[in-house]
Amino acid sequence: MGRIMNVLAIETATTACAIGLRTGSGAEVTRVLDNERRHTEVLVPGITEILAECGLAPHDIDRVVVDIGPGLFTGLRVGIATAIGLSEGLGVGLVGVTSLELLARGAHEGGVRGALVSAVDGRRGEVFVQTFTLGDTVEPAGEPAVAVARDVVIEWATNGAAVTFTGDGVDRYRGDFNAVPNGALFAQAVPPVTAALGLGASRATQASISPLYLREADAVANFTTRTRPQ
Amino acid sequence: MTVVLGIETSCDETAASVVDEHFHVLSSVIESSIDEHRAFGGVVPELAGRAHVAHIGPVVRRALLDAGLDPHHPAIDAVVVTSGPGLVGSLLVGLSAAKAYALSWGVPLVGVNHLEGHLFAPLLERSDLEWPMLTLLVSGGHSMIVLQTGPGQHEVLGETIDDAAGEAYDKVARWLGLGYPGGPEIDALAQTGTAGTLKLPVSMTGPDYDLSFSGLKTAVVRATEQQSDVALADVAASFQAAVCEQLLRKLRSAMEKYEVRGVALAGGVAANSALRDGVTRLSQEFGIVAHLPTLQMCTDNAAMIAAAGLYRLGADGPSAMSLSARPNWQLADVP
Ligand SMILES: [Zn+2]
Repeated sequence: MGRIMNVLAIETATTACAIGLRTGSGAEVTRVLDNERRHTEVLVPGITEILAECGLAPHDIDRVVVDIGPGLFTGLRVGIATAIGLSEGLGVGLVGVTSLELLARGAHEGGVRGALVSAVDGRRGEVFVQTFTLGDTVEPAGEPAVAVARDVVIEWATNGAAVTFTGDGVDRYRGDFNAVPNGALFAQAVPPVTAALGLGASRATQASISPLYLREADAVANFTTRTRPQ
Repeated sequence: MTVVLGIETSCDETAASVVDEHFHVLSSVIESSIDEHRAFGGVVPELAGRAHVAHIGPVVRRALLDAGLDPHHPAIDAVVVTSGPGLVGSLLVGLSAAKAYALSWGVPLVGVNHLEGHLFAPLLERSDLEWPMLTLLVSGGHSMIVLQTGPGQHEVLGETIDDAAGEAYDKVARWLGLGYPGGPEIDALAQTGTAGTLKLPVSMTGPDYDLSFSGLKTAVVRATEQQSDVALADVAASFQAAVCEQLLRKLRSAMEKYEVRGVALAGGVAANSALRDGVTRLSQEFGIVAHLPTLQMCTDNAAMIAAAGLYRLGADGPSAMSLSARPNWQLADVP
């Protein structure tokens, strides 16, 4: 694999929209563009700005890395469709990373060690979760899953093991997670773009990426329908 | 020569097309997720959104290759995209990708109205259009009569006050236990039936050009309960005749009031055989040209979006990269 020069990272798995740019000259700029689910409006103008700040043009991007979730579906699709458009339009490689592993790496970077649960808010009382073991490296200790927030809390409160919780799913149910006697909280709402830049530069590119939904489409579960506005 | 890429993702079709300034369609690719929705009797927004993400990259790439362009360095002058109306989760996929392509190639972005796209479809198929023109735009989401005095110059004379015509077809088809989408099913069945067998009321008899199909759907339900022995084909023929009667009566009344040189059909329901026959007869009676789109141009496609974008780019200039989706964007609010 050749040396990766300029990597662009896109993060839209939560209500926030964040981007990052790591350049061949070693500069790294990251930015939260918005916190109010205005991904569509702010994302591409933000990319234009961050490129200009680094003295780069769009065609200087060598690789795009994007958070594929799990997270809020609409935001994810905005980020992923943008990443696909850039990768296809520029003819550069694409790397998909998960929101849960980004949170784990953020916690690791922040000094957390031992068992860690990344939790992204899934709404409706549910969180997207994955357990990791943080030592010298960050190792997954389970698969990404969707779970009732309270069930996650009960599970860790009863198994007694020391654990750290992180992610906006923890923020949302802070009271519940705080009540785990053996638990600690590592405040981190947005999956860190810095971690995405690191993984994006080191991982192999993928021929195609798709969102990690972890949930059936609503209507498939509920059988509610609309008519076809063609 | 201006050449644009059009992208359409407002409902269940992921489409991309390359069109030049003379409205020559250099490529047109459509990937539909209709099969995934069939079991639900209507488009499931979340499923449509998921399908768009899966299809957008390959569809655009194929459209560029089919047009003989290098997908990474295409000689494209603008990227046009449907920014409304439609399903918001679907619109956002096309809009996000369109912005990314425009940024990649350093070309302008043009957001256009899906309904205006339908109005541009005839321009892609014939160069002898004469204005002013009346267009009956009928689909699963919209039913309206539009007066056009030139490309991009339109006035909505009347529209449905409740269900769209295509929506009524879908609902009646569901009631009759037919498949989805209902339009082609009922149209096919109606060929062997006798219209008028099922007694349905004449609706919307006022002097305006507004339309309504909700009452008709309810009347079919009630009449089939009362006349339970009527054959399915006769029900289909009676319903189809009633829909066409209303549409053609309103269109005729508009043709009587406005002196037009052409009449056009647009939208998915424009594929309906009875409606096509009716519009042809009306045009002959008034001695004007009828523009009936090919079946391919009736349904949602990106060529019509590209065509509308060529006009809008010239008339209004590019859109901002902060453009957001407008799920309820009315044609009357264009530009
Ligand atoms: Zn349409």
